[in-house]
Amino acid sequence: MPSPMSRRVFLRGLGTAMALPLLDSMVPRALAAGAPGSAAAKAAAGAAKVLPNRMIFVFVPNGMHMPSWTPVAEGALQLPPTMQALSGVRDSLTVMTNLAQHNAFALNDGAGDHARSGAVWLTGVHPKKTAGADIRAGISVDQLAAQHIGNRTRFASLELGIERGAQAGNCDSGYSCAYSSSISWQAESTPVAKEINPRLVFDRLFGNGNINEAEESRYRRNAERKSILDFVQEDARDLKNKLGAHDNRKLDEYLAGVREIEQRIDRADGDNPQVDASKRPTGIPSDPGEHIRLMGDMMLLALQTDTTRICTLMLANDGSNRSYQNIGISEGHHELSHHGGDKDKQAKIERINRFHIEQLAYILNRMQNTKEGNGTLLDNSMVVYGAGISDGDRHNHDELPILLAGKGAGTIKGGQHIRYAPNTPMSNLFLSMLDRMGVREDTFGDSNGRLDRLF
Amino acid sequence: MVAVNSSRFVFCSLPVALAAGFFVLRSQAAPTRFVALAAAKPSAKSSAHSFATEVAPVINTYCLPCHGESQPRGDVSFIKTHSAADVVKQRAMWEAAARNVNLHVMPPAGMPQPTAAQRERLTRFIEETLSSTNCTIPNPGRVTLRRLNREEYNNSIRDLFGVDFRPADDFPSDDVGYGFDNIGDVLSISPLLMEKYLLAAEQISEKAILVSPHVARKWSGNELVGDNQADENGAYGFFGPSDAAIEYSFAAAGTYSVRVKAWEQHAGDQNAQLQLGIDGKAQATIDVSASQNAPAWYEQKLTIPAGRHRITLSFQNDFYKPDLPEGQRDRNVFAQNVELDGPLEPDARALPVSQKQIIFVSPEQIAKDRTLAARLVVTQMARRLYRRPPSPEDVERLMRAFDLSRGESFERGVQIALQAALVSPRFLFRVETVADQKPTTQAKGAKVQTVQNRVLDSWELASRLSYFLWSSTPDDELMKVAASGALQKPEELQAQAQRMLRDPKARALADNFAGQWLMLRNLRDVAPDPNLYPDWNDQLRAAMKQESLLFFEEVVQNNRSITDFLDGKFTYLNETLAKHYGISGVRGANFQRIALTGELARQRGGVLTQASVLTVTSNPTRTSPVKRGKWVLENFWGTPPPPPPPGVAQLKENRVISSTLTMRKRMEEHRKNPACASCHSRMDPIGFSLENYDATGKWRAREGTLPIDTSGVLSDGTRFVGPVQFKAILMKKQNQFVRAFSEKMLTYALGRGLETSDKCVVDAIYKHVNENKNTFGSLIEAVVASDSFRKQQVEVVKGKKN
Repeated sequence: MPSPMSRRVFLRGLGTAMALPLLDSMVPRALAAGAPGSAAAKAAAGAAKVLPNRMIFVFVPNGMHMPSWTPVAEGALQLPPTMQALSGVRDSLTVMTNLAQHNAFALNDGAGDHARSGAVWLTGVHPKKTAGADIRAGISVDQLAAQHIGNRTRFASLELGIERGAQAGNCDSGYSCAYSSSISWQAESTPVAKEINPRLVFDRLFGNGNINEAEESRYRRNAERKSILDFVQEDARDLKNKLGAHDNRKLDEYLAGVREIEQRIDRADGDNPQVDASKRPTGIPSDPGEHIRLMGDMMLLALQTDTTRICTLMLANDGSNRSYQNIGISEGHHELSHHGGDKDKQAKIERINRFHIEQLAYILNRMQNTKEGNGTLLDNSMVVYGAGISDGDRHNHDELPILLAGKGAGTIKGGQHIRYAPNTPMSNLFLSMLDRMGVREDTFGDSNGRLDRLF
Repeated sequence: MVAVNSSRFVFCSLPVALAAGFFVLRSQAAPTRFVALAAAKPSAKSSAHSFATEVAPVINTYCLPCHGESQPRGDVSFIKTHSAADVVKQRAMWEAAARNVNLHVMPPAGMPQPTAAQRERLTRFIEETLSSTNCTIPNPGRVTLRRLNREEYNNSIRDLFGVDFRPADDFPSDDVGYGFDNIGDVLSISPLLMEKYLLAAEQISEKAILVSPHVARKWSGNELVGDNQADENGAYGFFGPSDAAIEYSFAAAGTYSVRVKAWEQHAGDQNAQLQLGIDGKAQATIDVSASQNAPAWYEQKLTIPAGRHRITLSFQNDFYKPDLPEGQRDRNVFAQNVELDGPLEPDARALPVSQKQIIFVSPEQIAKDRTLAARLVVTQMARRLYRRPPSPEDVERLMRAFDLSRGESFERGVQIALQAALVSPRFLFRVETVADQKPTTQAKGAKVQTVQNRVLDSWELASRLSYFLWSSTPDDELMKVAASGALQKPEELQAQAQRMLRDPKARALADNFAGQWLMLRNLRDVAPDPNLYPDWNDQLRAAMKQESLLFFEEVVQNNRSITDFLDGKFTYLNETLAKHYGISGVRGANFQRIALTGELARQRGGVLTQASVLTVTSNPTRTSPVKRGKWVLENFWGTPPPPPPPGVAQLKENRVISSTLTMRKRMEEHRKNPACASCHSRMDPIGFSLENYDATGKWRAREGTLPIDTSGVLSDGTRFVGPVQFKAILMKKQNQFVRAFSEKMLTYALGRGLETSDKCVVDAIYKHVNENKNTFGSLIEAVVASDSFRKQQVEVVKGKKN
């Protein structure tokens, strides 16, 4: 009979690096991309193993210096100044001009573009203006995909960020801070919290800091956790009968969280990927560039090991006023973005844009260098990068700066600049991406069709 | 006069757009229609006459030109107000209007102004109309089920278990609503958080309860694993050279007594020998001399490392001579039982205090009744964690968790139950149930929803009190008072509140209320430009925060007037901060109370001139008179201006201009734009009065080489120069502050945004505080006594459950 096991997990030695069959050899254990029975799936069935497609969204706040962002010509992509750092992955880039998030405009709600920009970016839904009571946006595209195909990986999705949510004060013009600091929404009133500490991301993904834990005790711990989750579900259902409808919404969030973890435990089936313990970060780097790159490393680790296929990463919350002293910019980002035509301020905004793109380049280059089957990790991914505001001074939500990297498992041509009709809903892009993830939806957000010319 | 053509940009007139989040549908009607309809449709009889004759003309003349039908400024339009009843319906808008007219914020400077009498008549009418109709129907409002936020979680764990451990520091940030992070509507639970709860529960339960590594277990022969099998009496037989083993996970290394009950079938000139080994490696040998009719216990002490090991029994000296007579030819040995006992060394780990509290009764104390002991322990645990007596079902559920430990120690069972309780919604949420209103069936299938005011039960009230004042769980005394029912008595409720305010745990009010009200938490993220502010470092950052916290705490602990926040003549400094303030004579890292006198009293006093507030309202490279002015409007006067509209040029940082103009001059340029003027004329003068403080709150006489002009004019025409005179104005307007501060405190206490229906409550609080010299204690008293604090509006669904 086994004894009480010690699960003092955090105290146990992480110093010992495990021998590792490293990542390029770790072909994802997952299987078909494309809906079962779809042409893609059938075509793929012949091949040895179909590599999965991934969906990643990287958000930057406060708009972009558009003159340096938009490529001059349509067609074959010539990298604009802001994107110079991406030359190594040029052929995998699709720059899309004229996508819009119409629902981020005021629509009679007055000021608050930063709050709306965050909440609308992946939902396409106009958020309710409230400082707290009844926050409401819509389900975001990543979460919708996660609900459909998240069960194929240990983690349905991963939500990452670089900047903490606001700690005090008001965020934007009578909007709850939840809006400007959340792009992932699991349900219309439930933003998904993001993790900003790379060490904690690692611990979540690879065994709570306890990657040396013996198979048997992990099995036991999971069994015990499941029992406890059963217990609390019953508890919560019992409680639901005693509460009003308002409060029950909160309990529903709670139950959704419980179920997600339950499923995750089921999916784990003792098959945790083995990852080099020496890759475990020690905390949050003080240099913002290093912070972003380390978070990118964690994301890549998750993708390579097929721990998840869906990920969001906010490089800062919308309206963020952090200064980038690491690149010699002392003024706050938001403060600068209201440049009022000032050339000096615009130059600084452009510099911040380039800084962010440089970090993206690091991530994309690593994805490109990660072999996977006959291609690369980048080939089998769709990485959307951009903002919910176009010009930070005008606060407009059309002509958004949107970049799609990766070839979506052979479904995206790449190396193009496509100019769509003005005010093409960004939700159309989401529908096209959902298709490529094997999730068939007729509409999403304010969509009015799908994007053409991607391939 | 504001140019009418630029109306698209004249956005700033009333803060109501902010407060109420409403928008006005545009009407095609001409402004004059207002008066006509107002006269034609008197719906509130008593005041209809005065509305049409006294109020409407004033509104028509002074308000409608901007707040009329087309492109109303600030999205505020009075076009749909035709009667006193409409004023009541549009409460938020008219409340803000009264406040702004009263403060001379409206009409804005440069526009035609009403006479003092008109102004008075208008505001009085609005106030009377709003207050006369409302307070007769008390409405305590509804707080959405609140989960513990990070601070509350950490503090609750600290107070429940005394473990110095802040598991919630790794939780995702709590979202902020209405300026605070304890707002039920905004606090959500994501899978990530759920996962952290689960992990934290495991960690906490392991810290709160040490499961003794001690093992005292007995195996019977048929539990031994080897090639042979035990006989029908459960004795495992070794008939030739062979091994058998038990397997066990040892929680700790140490010396264990291994005892084997055995006998031999004797043959030859030796007794049978069983070798004891760990994982097959020989450690000791037992010489078995007992015979089957009198088996004996043989003991050996083995040093066993922690972890899972096999304890092996190995028969080494087999003897078999078939030629010998029966009874002498075959040496065999049998193991009836194996017992493990250890470690024999005393457990060097001190049991945590929490362990004795939680396991206040052990099975040994009550005739080894494990189930009864568990039930007692689990019941008490639930009461403390759930902050109320558990229902029988609650206890049964926890007992099932306890039972997961079958075969393991009692402590282990309690540990699992604790883990479960820590993830239960009854711990994570502050449950205020409506269960005492049983749905009653009316007509079949009919669903009737009504709203009732429900008095919180004593337990719920205790939780509200302790999470308000301590950001933590109720202590034993509060639970006791709740249990006795005495907490429902107003005097006992007040006695408890005052007791709790004096407790060191009330520091939570400084950390959490003041930390957010004064935005001290944002200090962590500010990054003044090191080239411009070379003195800036983390020590200074920490000292600034500490000054404000200590200042706040003194007001709380000494029950001082809350107007000290405006102009308190004392502060707390350590050497770092004293130097920053240009004061000598303060040494060391410890803070000391400093009475402000002389020059220092002219420079400092109250929170507004503390470096913390001055720094969080600055930009990284410069001061921001706008942010400082906005801070005062918002936090001292409760009249936040709306944010700038898109498209309005912000202050140019042009170097040429910068070097030749002060910040003030640059902003004055800016305000020449009428689109900006209506708000900035409210914010900027306040900020100008503070221009003697740089972006890190350091006193300066000049800005670079330029002299600083700290004079200003408020929208009501009051003139002032510098912080001293501005503070005199703050003190003159202290009633406005007391009211705004009360609103903030009530928001924080309730964990929800205030509704217009809370006005009656705020009025009552304000009155009480005013009558009690504005003391902090009287504010807490009034908040705690209020209906909003003690009651909850509940929807009662009658009929078929949905």
